[in-house]
Amino acid sequence: MTELSVVGKNVIRVDARTKVLGKDEYCSDIKLPGMLHTKVLGSHYAHAKILSMDTSEAQKVSGVRCVVTQKDAPKKLTGIIIKDLPILASGVVRYVGEPVAAVAATTLEAAEQAMDLIKVEYEELPAIFDVEEAAGTNPPVIIHPDFSNYRVMLPPERLSTERPNVFTHIKVYKGDTDKGFEESELIVENRFVAPSIQHCALEPHAVVVRPEPDGGLTLFTGKQGISRVKEDIAATFGIEPHKVRVKQQYVGGAFGGKVILYEYIPTLLALKTGRPVKWVMTREEASVLGGPREGMVLIVKDGFKKDGTLVARKMEVFVDGGAYAENIPGITRNCSSVAICMYRIPHLKWDGYAVYTNTPKRSGMRGFGVNEVDYAIESSMDIAAEKLGIDPVELRRKNLLREGEPMLNGEITHSIGAAECLDRVCESIKLKEKGAPEGPWRKGKGLALGNKYSTARTHCGARIRVTEDERVVIYHGADAIGQGVNTVISQMAAEEFGISPDKVDVVFSDTAITPYFGNGSTSSRTTFNLGNAVRRACDDAKRQIFQMAGWNLDAPPEILDIRNMEVYVRTHPDRKIKVRDLFSPRQNRPPQISSGVGDEAGEIIGKATYRMDGIPDDPRTGQIDPVLARQGQRFMAFYAYVAKAVEVAVNIETGEVKVLRCYGAIDLGKAINPKTCEQQSEGGMAMGIGSGLHEAMLMENGRVLNPNFSDYRAPLAAQMPFNENMKTFFVESAPHKDGPFGAKGFSEGVVTGMEPAIANAVHNAVGVRIKELPITPEKVIRALRERG
Amino acid sequence: MKQLITLRINGVDEGLYVEPWWTLSRVLREELNLIGTKEGCGGGHCGSCTVLIDGKAVMSCLYLAMKARGKDIMTIEGLQGENGALHPLQEAFIEHFAVQCGYCIPGMIMTAKALLAENPNPTEEEVRAGLSGNLCRCTGYVKIVEAILSSAEKKGN
Repeated sequence: MTELSVVGKNVIRVDARTKVLGKDEYCSDIKLPGMLHTKVLGSHYAHAKILSMDTSEAQKVSGVRCVVTQKDAPKKLTGIIIKDLPILASGVVRYVGEPVAAVAATTLEAAEQAMDLIKVEYEELPAIFDVEEAAGTNPPVIIHPDFSNYRVMLPPERLSTERPNVFTHIKVYKGDTDKGFEESELIVENRFVAPSIQHCALEPHAVVVRPEPDGGLTLFTGKQGISRVKEDIAATFGIEPHKVRVKQQYVGGAFGGKVILYEYIPTLLALKTGRPVKWVMTREEASVLGGPREGMVLIVKDGFKKDGTLVARKMEVFVDGGAYAENIPGITRNCSSVAICMYRIPHLKWDGYAVYTNTPKRSGMRGFGVNEVDYAIESSMDIAAEKLGIDPVELRRKNLLREGEPMLNGEITHSIGAAECLDRVCESIKLKEKGAPEGPWRKGKGLALGNKYSTARTHCGARIRVTEDERVVIYHGADAIGQGVNTVISQMAAEEFGISPDKVDVVFSDTAITPYFGNGSTSSRTTFNLGNAVRRACDDAKRQIFQMAGWNLDAPPEILDIRNMEVYVRTHPDRKIKVRDLFSPRQNRPPQISSGVGDEAGEIIGKATYRMDGIPDDPRTGQIDPVLARQGQRFMAFYAYVAKAVEVAVNIETGEVKVLRCYGAIDLGKAINPKTCEQQSEGGMAMGIGSGLHEAMLMENGRVLNPNFSDYRAPLAAQMPFNENMKTFFVESAPHKDGPFGAKGFSEGVVTGMEPAIANAVHNAVGVRIKELPITPEKVIRALRERG
Repeated sequence: MKQLITLRINGVDEGLYVEPWWTLSRVLREELNLIGTKEGCGGGHCGSCTVLIDGKAVMSCLYLAMKARGKDIMTIEGLQGENGALHPLQEAFIEHFAVQCGYCIPGMIMTAKALLAENPNPTEEEVRAGLSGNLCRCTGYVKIVEAILSSAEKKGN
């Protein structure tokens, strides 16, 4: 491969300057003339019938322009995979805070005043909050008795008729686990619990909806996936899709929390009033209506031979999806991947259940279920290692899948840098050396492996415009959510044209202008998918440039190359022409050949689609067709492997756990911009320290008790290790054959493995095993007392 | 009932009609369109609304606009030097890759400015403690702390 001049370098982020100046307009900053403000009234009860609603007093408040309830809204049920969700509660409420009415007013104060005057009469119904109880075959409360009438985009094999509150049942079966456990010489069985947590994107969820003169709408958003918003809003409100425009600039953080749709209510208000309507969620609303992450109960049973060979794994996973399904079916399906694409296991029985409870509906969070599963399986590995008397690193290394081997769903392993990740972090942190106690503090070290897939069966486009002043403009429809997408693709385009990245501009996130980007910036997919599309679009533009240059240089396009916006004959580089000169009329060309760019309105436009093809799995077994797999067909686009090693100090008097050192290795194929990769890694490790030690959504009778930043403890700088103790290692020894420059996405995997590494380190320090997150001082003290 | 008051913001006297319950953050963002000051929680816990009042870092989402009369208010917009020259802290945040989604950044920079004014040569521990009122979900704080420390070294004041 030729030496890269821009890719692989620490190019300064293209968005940094305007952000430090505070000049960027985020969605929550937008003001439009005549704009109205939104307030949403939420239900007081977790489960209740709505007997009556009276909005007459609310309508009289000065400044109020519209009060809506379900009778004003389209009757269609919405939802990403299961259409179970009304825009406003219709006859029944299923979680505390569920929207029952909304107000649009000229000021927020007027809207709040009106909200307080809306009278709702409820008849409380019994509610159910415990996920395992709700998942039963005869639960005391059935949350969606009409489920069989809903439109469901799932095969019948993925539904559960015996469990009335289970809305998705995922099976991944391989071999015969009964036989496997019979052959096992050690069986470890444990139950793990991961609570619901909050995404805590600093910018709250926001949308501004502006009605357009042609009956259409423009939505200003801060989302992951603008195309879905356009399609869904058009379909729900019966507007022709080409009249719905969705656009955004920089988003103040997302982490998966800005995927589910919340645009319906402001759209309804905008259509009714004919005025622009803005809704910025308060932090309390964002913590409930924004959709917290799912919680999980995981039961893991692993069978080993005495020499540490994994023989069988049985897992039962209950995913608390709250009152409406949203993207929880996908999470329940895909979270199994971390358990099936890392280790070789002849027998597997995985049953995952997505369960309704009378709690807020959820939105998947960075990792999409994988972190909770990794917590369970990587804790289980350490538990087994201790019982077997085998070194935990050796136990993992021994069972790791290798390149070319089938995974547990039949997919062929490709690009697995897990072993090197493991080695790098364990050697660097000197895993076997335990730190000396300091007063009541006991030190310990722990590790975990992990991985994060990226979805396949998607496609996205990119457009490249080469201009007369030799700039390259990239058009894309992905989401700039802080990950540095515009910098990374600028580097790739700069590499393709042999120019400096500051000659590249980016136009992004506007459904009227930019190409389609399927699924939005989710699933760690942007660098891989958009990067490939951008490179192909560059190729398309270069093809046209070489054709035009070829006429001028009297050389066939195949022998031409480009550097610094100058086209030259590879073997005779003194035969050259500047791209800018292609835009000028040329005298010495045959009259029957068009002059090229001068005739084409001064633009060279390259375009391309990148299709990430994949094959489906069998819903009865989760297996993919082995014949297709052997041909190289894939279920997931790629898997990025990670390893974490942490050192903790545990206070045996207070139970407090401090993370002293935190090392993360990422199998990322190729670091397009190493500094931006470090950015992700450091942020991911911080998120894992938060969910490992501090974070949980607390509820009482379905009411979220800590929907704010004071009682919900996302970590602050003082709770993190010092800079020199946070290390990131890049593993580039397993590039992906389809990744741009070999790169894989990893912006979720950077969190994976933190929780089990911390749990394993706590065990190493003080000999107690905490199987419920977060690992709070109370839990540690209780466990220490129980152990005696 | 709205009252006409004068607020000195970034060295400029602004005449404004404000309600007595309006926060400084609302006045900056809604009345003056100084959107660099953000609102992440409305409760004084995330720090993205941090501005300087007479040189001290303040959560503008908890500070009543009326109370700011007669004081010197500085927002992120006031940090630039002449001819658009970046403040050394702004340069440092760019150079050290301290910026990701950007939403916490104005608050971080204003807090850092106040911190360095009070303690020109802080240790890493002191910087981290000084950021106790500023939440970031993207960065893990590593490069923010690095940027502030490097800015302190460079400035030497």
